[in-house]
Amino acid sequence: VNWLRVFFVGGLTSYRALFRWLNPWVYVPIMLVYPIFQILFFAYLGRGAGLESDTFFLIGNAVSVTAVACLFGMGQVIGNERWFQTLPVLLSSPASRLALFLGRSLPTMLNAIFVSAFSLAVGAIVLGVTIPASAVEGLAFAILACSFSCTGLGLCFGALGLRGRNVLIFANLVDGLILVICGVNVPLQELPGWVQTISRGLPLTHGIEAARRVVAGASAGAVAHLLVVEVLIGIVYLLAGIALLRLFELEGRRTASLETF
Amino acid sequence: MIRLLRNGVVLQFKILSRSAFDMLNAIFWPLVFATIAYYVFRAGSEPESLFTASLGATVMTMWGTVGIGASGAIQWQRRLGTLELLIGSPAPFIAILAPLTIAFSGLGIYSLAATLVWGRVLFGIPIDVVHPIWFVISLPACIVAIGMLGLLVASVFVLYRAAVHLGNSLEYPMWLATGLLIPLSILPGWVTPVSWLLAPTWGMRALRESALGGSPLPAIGMCLGVSVAYGLLAIVFLRYFERLARAKAAFALS
Repeated sequence: VNWLRVFFVGGLTSYRALFRWLNPWVYVPIMLVYPIFQILFFAYLGRGAGLESDTFFLIGNAVSVTAVACLFGMGQVIGNERWFQTLPVLLSSPASRLALFLGRSLPTMLNAIFVSAFSLAVGAIVLGVTIPASAVEGLAFAILACSFSCTGLGLCFGALGLRGRNVLIFANLVDGLILVICGVNVPLQELPGWVQTISRGLPLTHGIEAARRVVAGASAGAVAHLLVVEVLIGIVYLLAGIALLRLFELEGRRTASLETF
Repeated sequence: MIRLLRNGVVLQFKILSRSAFDMLNAIFWPLVFATIAYYVFRAGSEPESLFTASLGATVMTMWGTVGIGASGAIQWQRRLGTLELLIGSPAPFIAILAPLTIAFSGLGIYSLAATLVWGRVLFGIPIDVVHPIWFVISLPACIVAIGMLGLLVASVFVLYRAAVHLGNSLEYPMWLATGLLIPLSILPGWVTPVSWLLAPTWGMRALRESALGGSPLPAIGMCLGVSVAYGLLAIVFLRYFERLARAKAAFALS
């Protein structure tokens, strides 16, 4: 029961305290306005170059927004413990580390799902893209799977917060890479083979592909294999994140570096 | 005053050049946008636009760094605890703030170098500048104009605590409205007159005309013209908001 309390109540409390973008003055411009203009920018870029349809860019960018919410979200909700100088207190508590840190991933995922769905809906209205009702179920699964996989990767960045002070640099870097190589704005087949191989191991690639197929008319069942791979990728990153958390906590204790900047 | 401005730009540029976050923004992000643009234009119908895409990605990054940096400039000084000292110094606050925003824009020099080398090495895009002298003149004109636009933004955001995030959210709208990678002709008609008021439009035009051939002089002139206009507006806004913040004793509040 205590584990569940730390997971749910502690996770939500920590998220509200440490995710600094929840302030409406920040949340609206960054989590709601920014993605809409990102979608518009790339859709118009595609129109200008005569490449792909608005739907291609709408789906790619709306789903990729989950990366921003998860990478920066998880980075902040763990990394900010160091900034607020609460890390040693937290790590000296007997609470389960899994409950402590995984509890923060749930609100992160829910936020990512909301932001992605909002961007998709508003982007579709502004661009005049019609999303068939039959695609809603598959899209929902794709967004859910991508949120999960990005949260897994985000946990790895969060773990870096136990080691370094500026986690957001790494999140920023990967966010940029995702825009280029995960099929968000550039069709995967246009990229060199070795880049495609890397992108297959990153979150979003399979989820975005599934979302596009669903909007093109495929059923949710027909893209299930892509979604399963997306979730598996998320599990791998999640396990890696948990391992890194453990490793960096031990390292931090050993080198007495939990409070250093 | 000139010494203050010159030393301010040099000092701030050196500080920013040693910041991992700012250098990442200056070098990595233009490569992201340039790469996307290369693939989009190459896969689409306009392969001759690749060099323009490099320049567009450079100017995009200039605004990106200025938009975030200038919006957060006052917040940054507030966090460092130096804002009240700067306000209290005998030098006009605008002469302290302007070098900071211009220095952010100056990081575009790194962006330009990075995108041109990236395009040449990875995509084989030739770096053929038709009017090299005009290009060398266009670059600082573009930097100053975008930096002064940043100053105007900073002067408006004095009292806004989350200014850096608002500045961040202005990135894509500005990139859209100034036709850096997207032809203005495919955007709604009302966007074109708006673009005339924005420095990146003229900075990009000056760089493009210098690089690809044409007459960059009018665009350079517009860069200087909008810089003066931004400067005058910034003086008015800064004076008003500075007075408001003094009256409320709100400078140190974060």
